[in-house]
Amino acid sequence: MSSPAQETTSAMNAAPGSVTLNGVTIDDTFAEAFPMKATRVLITAHNETWARHAAVAMTGFATSVIACGCEAGIERMLGADETPDGRPGASVLLFSMSGKELAKQLERRVGQCVLTCPTTAIYAGLDEGEAIALGRNLRFFGDGWQISKMIDGKRYWRVPVMDGEFVAEETTALVKAVGGGNLLLLARDTDAALAGAEAAVEAMRAVRGAIMPFPGGVVRSGSKVGSKYPALMASTNDAFCPALTPLARRSELDDYTRCVMEIVIDGLTEADVSAAMRAGIAAIVARGAAAGVTRISAGNYGGKLGPFHFHLHKLLGGEGAA
Amino acid sequence: MSATRGWCLRLKAQPDFRVDLGGVLPARLAAMTADEVARVEVRHGNERLALGELFDIAALDGVAGESAPELRLDGDLSRFDAIGQGLDDGVLHIAGAVGDRLGLSMRGGEIRVQGSAGQLVGGEMTGGLIEVTGDVGDFAAGALPGSMDGMRGGTLIVRGKAGARCGDRMRRGTVVLHGDAGDFLAARMVAGTIAVAGRVGAHCGYGMRRGTLVFAGPLPAVPSTFVATHQDIVVFWTLLRRSLAYHGGPFAALPVRAPRRLVGDLAVDGKGEWLLPE
Repeated sequence: MSSPAQETTSAMNAAPGSVTLNGVTIDDTFAEAFPMKATRVLITAHNETWARHAAVAMTGFATSVIACGCEAGIERMLGADETPDGRPGASVLLFSMSGKELAKQLERRVGQCVLTCPTTAIYAGLDEGEAIALGRNLRFFGDGWQISKMIDGKRYWRVPVMDGEFVAEETTALVKAVGGGNLLLLARDTDAALAGAEAAVEAMRAVRGAIMPFPGGVVRSGSKVGSKYPALMASTNDAFCPALTPLARRSELDDYTRCVMEIVIDGLTEADVSAAMRAGIAAIVARGAAAGVTRISAGNYGGKLGPFHFHLHKLLGGEGAA
Repeated sequence: MSATRGWCLRLKAQPDFRVDLGGVLPARLAAMTADEVARVEVRHGNERLALGELFDIAALDGVAGESAPELRLDGDLSRFDAIGQGLDDGVLHIAGAVGDRLGLSMRGGEIRVQGSAGQLVGGEMTGGLIEVTGDVGDFAAGALPGSMDGMRGGTLIVRGKAGARCGDRMRRGTVVLHGDAGDFLAARMVAGTIAVAGRVGAHCGYGMRRGTLVFAGPLPAVPSTFVATHQDIVVFWTLLRRSLAYHGGPFAALPVRAPRRLVGDLAVDGKGEWLLPE
């Protein structure tokens, strides 16, 4: 439990214009997000375990486009009544900076992680958008034994594999999306920060159309643009590093903030990102400052880089991105 | 310009010779006035005859643009061939029997026949929907003489029986046959899906290279050129079964359990499949 003094101090040190709800200070700032390209695919399998195995593998090493090629996550698990083939499944979202890179990542990941996973099948999860290959090229794994079937206007490929056949829809749809929405959770210590972040991520996962691509939905190595080393395009977000509170040229932290966690959100639409951020904020506020997360902020680059600005105070009022 | 969404043509009397109604299409006629429709000429034997001499013409209720162009044909049109040939848009309703080549080479739109149809129904069609409540003649979804491919897309639904060589050289699309099929069903089939609920005649699947045959009714005798495979096809079966269930009747009662699967015709490529629900 935090002491009243800490809460007071936190509130007292809050930036001008900030709002305090249930003891949690919400900065008058915004998350700056960027246009991305995205797709949704549905993975099904003999049971949920194998669907999850495939989805986890496919969304592995997909935390940041900085070095992973794409950002991906399990949007949600699907019941048998929600999938095209009546089996349990997983809805997976992939985001990348270009359609070409997204198509490349999708094909590689489906080919190596879904085609290989026992009993799986894969389908498009979006109807509208530019078509990109899903099973179109993977079919050649069938070495001529693959079968094409058109069912209700959709083409499926049936590729013979050792457990039967791998069924993949020919294409999925690529759509414009939004990546890089974020929340910064400022806490008094690691336990409080983790607990708050976990609660926020759990609430945010209920929002459809959005994923939190980092491990457990949380990132501890938030970054700023640029570095003192010319070869690096990004470096540690020193303004939010407790280790640098007394050292950094401009720190956002006070002496009582000793751990900061970030939640990054990618969404199919601005509304999805807004809804996820709103759910995250609500979860933290509901826990109250007494739970240890005393302040919520967001990362931006002055508004000059990304066209989507998610103002925290507007989200509190039910509005979306500006 | 016409202010109607379409026309109803009611047959006055049986013509002396066969009539070729090719080119009498909903979208074309919907853009005409009643006088213009009446002056549209069609081939009648070796002569040309105006539609107005064959049919009473009446406008359909509704305003142009509110829905797809529509054409209704009433009467026994079993002497009228090529109805809906080349259709790519609009809806064609026919109350009565029709002649040969119904929907030949059609690309889109719908043709619905309350009656039976002659030969080559949906021959070489590439898209759209044809539904015939009665029987269809030979070569439904088949190919014209000398042509390499039969049906190439779309859906053909036959509530009655089909004649011989249904799906001959069929390359793509779906045929749903509620009744019996004649001899040589799916002969020389290249791809696509045929679902049949009735009995099938001799030489079913003769020369079948690829494609899928679903037997929702009596199981056929299995030729020696078809062999069983035993892999798990429940995923594909579920996709197909759910799609076929939409057509009702025996297709709505297909079992959830994956069917027995045979492949053939081994005399050609052996990649065709028969699905025999058990």
